[in-house]
Amino acid sequence: MSKTAPLDRTPTDWKAAAMQRRIRKRYRRERVFRLLGLGAVALSAAFLAFLIITMVANGTRGFMRTEVTLPIDLPGAGFEVRREQLDTAGADLALAGAGLENLVKAAAVQAFGEGGEEMISDKAWLTVRDAIKSDPGLLTRAGTVDVPVATEVDQAARGSASPEAEAAVARLEKAGALTTGFNPDFLRNADSTDPTAVGIWGALKGSLLTMLVTLLIAFPVGVLSAIYLEEYAPRNRWTDLIEVSINNLAAVPSIIFGLLGLAVFLSFMNLPRSAPIVGGLTLALMIMPVIVIAGRNAIKAVPPSIRDAALGVGASRVQVVFHHVLPLALPGILTGTIIGMARALGETAPLLLIGMRAFIVTPPGGLTDPATVLPVQIFLWSDEVSRGFIEKTSAAIIVLLAFLLAMNGLAIYLRNKFETRW
Amino acid sequence: MNLSALFFLVAGLGLIGWLVGRGRAARFASNGPERRHSLPGQHGLYVATWTLVPAVLFLVGWSILSPQLVTQEVLRQPAAMALPDFGFERAAALAEARVLANDPSRGAFNPVAEQLAPAMRDAERFYGWIGAGAAIALAFAGGAFAFTRVKPAFRARNRVERSVMILLLIASLIAILTTLGIFLSLLWESLRFFSIVSPIDFLFGTHWSPQVISPSDPGASLGAVPLFWGTFFIGAVIAMIVAIPFGLMSAIYLTQYARPVVRRWMKPILEILAGVPTVVYGYFAALTVAPAIRDLAVAFGYTYASSESALAAGLVMGVMIIPFVSSMADDSLAAVPQAMRDGSLAMGATTSETISKVLVPAALPGVVAGVLLAVSRAIGETMIVVMAASGAANITLNPFESTTTVTKQIVDLLTGEAEFDSPKTLAAFALGLTLFVVTLLLNIVALTVVKRYREAYE
Repeated sequence: MSKTAPLDRTPTDWKAAAMQRRIRKRYRRERVFRLLGLGAVALSAAFLAFLIITMVANGTRGFMRTEVTLPIDLPGAGFEVRREQLDTAGADLALAGAGLENLVKAAAVQAFGEGGEEMISDKAWLTVRDAIKSDPGLLTRAGTVDVPVATEVDQAARGSASPEAEAAVARLEKAGALTTGFNPDFLRNADSTDPTAVGIWGALKGSLLTMLVTLLIAFPVGVLSAIYLEEYAPRNRWTDLIEVSINNLAAVPSIIFGLLGLAVFLSFMNLPRSAPIVGGLTLALMIMPVIVIAGRNAIKAVPPSIRDAALGVGASRVQVVFHHVLPLALPGILTGTIIGMARALGETAPLLLIGMRAFIVTPPGGLTDPATVLPVQIFLWSDEVSRGFIEKTSAAIIVLLAFLLAMNGLAIYLRNKFETRW
Repeated sequence: MNLSALFFLVAGLGLIGWLVGRGRAARFASNGPERRHSLPGQHGLYVATWTLVPAVLFLVGWSILSPQLVTQEVLRQPAAMALPDFGFERAAALAEARVLANDPSRGAFNPVAEQLAPAMRDAERFYGWIGAGAAIALAFAGGAFAFTRVKPAFRARNRVERSVMILLLIASLIAILTTLGIFLSLLWESLRFFSIVSPIDFLFGTHWSPQVISPSDPGASLGAVPLFWGTFFIGAVIAMIVAIPFGLMSAIYLTQYARPVVRRWMKPILEILAGVPTVVYGYFAALTVAPAIRDLAVAFGYTYASSESALAAGLVMGVMIIPFVSSMADDSLAAVPQAMRDGSLAMGATTSETISKVLVPAALPGVVAGVLLAVSRAIGETMIVVMAASGAANITLNPFESTTTVTKQIVDLLTGEAEFDSPKTLAAFALGLTLFVVTLLLNIVALTVVKRYREAYE
């Protein structure tokens, strides 16, 4: 045995002042580090809160509009439309043809003095038209209709604006009662050049049609390929190629799918521009990998004992999957699908490239009509110069966020309700 | 006959086939002496498959072929002699004739189209009926063939299952087809672009102004280096300066310090940041962040501050990426073996020392891979830069100045009014190809790193 040299060391003196200082320093660092972490989380959450509060603060006013009570005397102005004409299909045409637009302007001048026609919205006569259709009595007697005011007046009535607009508000308040209330047209109309008359229904309907196409294509294809890859695919080069393709597709920037849609669906296959069917196809290709990956994970989570039991009582391999594995995996697949659909609903860039940025005044009637979608509508309104569009944009954002929140909430609910821990 | 109506009709025939096949199989099941091989429903599916598949395949082929047959038929008309031999005008006249044939109340611009419209209508009707007849005949023939094979000993289940497997295989091939489609369409358009503009001018040129392209030397104003720089500067520098510290520290706090209740609530809240649509971020960046940053720059004495600064877009993009970095860091921290953490703590290290000297170095490959994936996502991000960044292509290191990015230019080039074959629109595809290749490489590198790193601890 060799002799080891004794270690030249004294025990640490924990009570020494230097050591105490050192420990305090280390603990201080610990606290700072911890606070930094908390700060990072809190700042991120604060940013989210700030974003949402900004949108809500701007957007709630977008759901409102200011109306003014406009006295209208149709028989007195010599307006010649008979009551029976209102029941026919040509009622709108008859009312417009009889000069309702000018008559409404004249009524505004009469009621609010010089320049009165500038104070009510350009589309005010449409409100009057609808009022006449619902109350034909207006054709034979004098009455009043609440019509939306012009954008500048609308801004002035609810906050800051130019001095002229402020003066207009003062005059209107003197002449007729100004009221601010919920704007139902915002949920009924489509795009317009006049911010008081715009609505999101056109874009929302376009979004719904596009989502329908996306769902009808991406869901079956995604689920079927998830089943194939997870349950049947032999391990070979082809399967590897499919897996690599899916993983890469999930990471391809969305705008690339727009280029694909432009080159393949529009230029090569000559499908109609701006149509929900093209948008839906493009988005379906984009979210298919999301569904495949979610589907594979859900199928993988079903324990092998289920398969073995089914095989053991004589089910074929197809029956095992379609009768036993798939129903058990379905909640997971649905959760993934909803999350994918939420992503598709918020997607803008690829749809810009395939022409879904058109100015759509009438909501699309079918899958091949020109349409726009909610996020693109937000983008288009954000480009508008008129101040009235700022709150409309934020209001549309609130609607979009509400849809996304509902979809994600549904996904979380499904996951919690049906998730099985084996 | 209307094509979609025809599809519904064939689908109805398929349903009838299913009912008939199932009914026949059910009858011999109950009173036959033979033991049956397959269930009645499987026989039904067999008949339905034979009814549907040939007819639908035919309809798909026919819907591609018949417009060409119709066009040929119409061109045999004497009035068609007046059409130019080829080119845009000829196609426009034919398209107009097609519209007129379907909707005679529309007014005609081109008299030739008006003359061709009746012939077009007749030809469309003629070939429409041929197609409908053939499809229905095919459906009946297939159904009848399958129906005769419905016997107790017939192995309908095996046949149906084989067609199910083929369906599954086809569905999973769509992913490959999409990848190929992206690659080939980008490559094809890019090759056309590079036949006009030299790739060297494009990849190494430093002057980008697609608004004024000289026909003699289009490459001179299509140098993409400023775009690459802007994309890198906004997506990989500014956004990452925000996203990496915030993402990493959030992940560390939530996994190492936070109580389970806090973690359960804060993690989904942070993930909402990733779920907010990019157009909302873009609007927020343009409306709120960009003016604030311009005012800040002016307050610092920088008078030429742009209201479309690189900083505004980069900051907001960074916030969007935070949850992404955070969840990648979360995964890699969780993959570090508990023994390493316990060992460090047992030696007397504080939690923060354990994290910064043991956990983070051990998780570093995973974190780096996560950052690479985040960069690939940031440079492909479009709406924030479209709405908050400018179109002016500058090479600058000043975050208060404006720069532009690849994605922004793709949108600008393709949403203007321009014909499809101009170098301007083709340049968008070349940019798209570059973006695709770069993000693909980043992803491959990142996934390889993650894979190797996971193996190291398993």
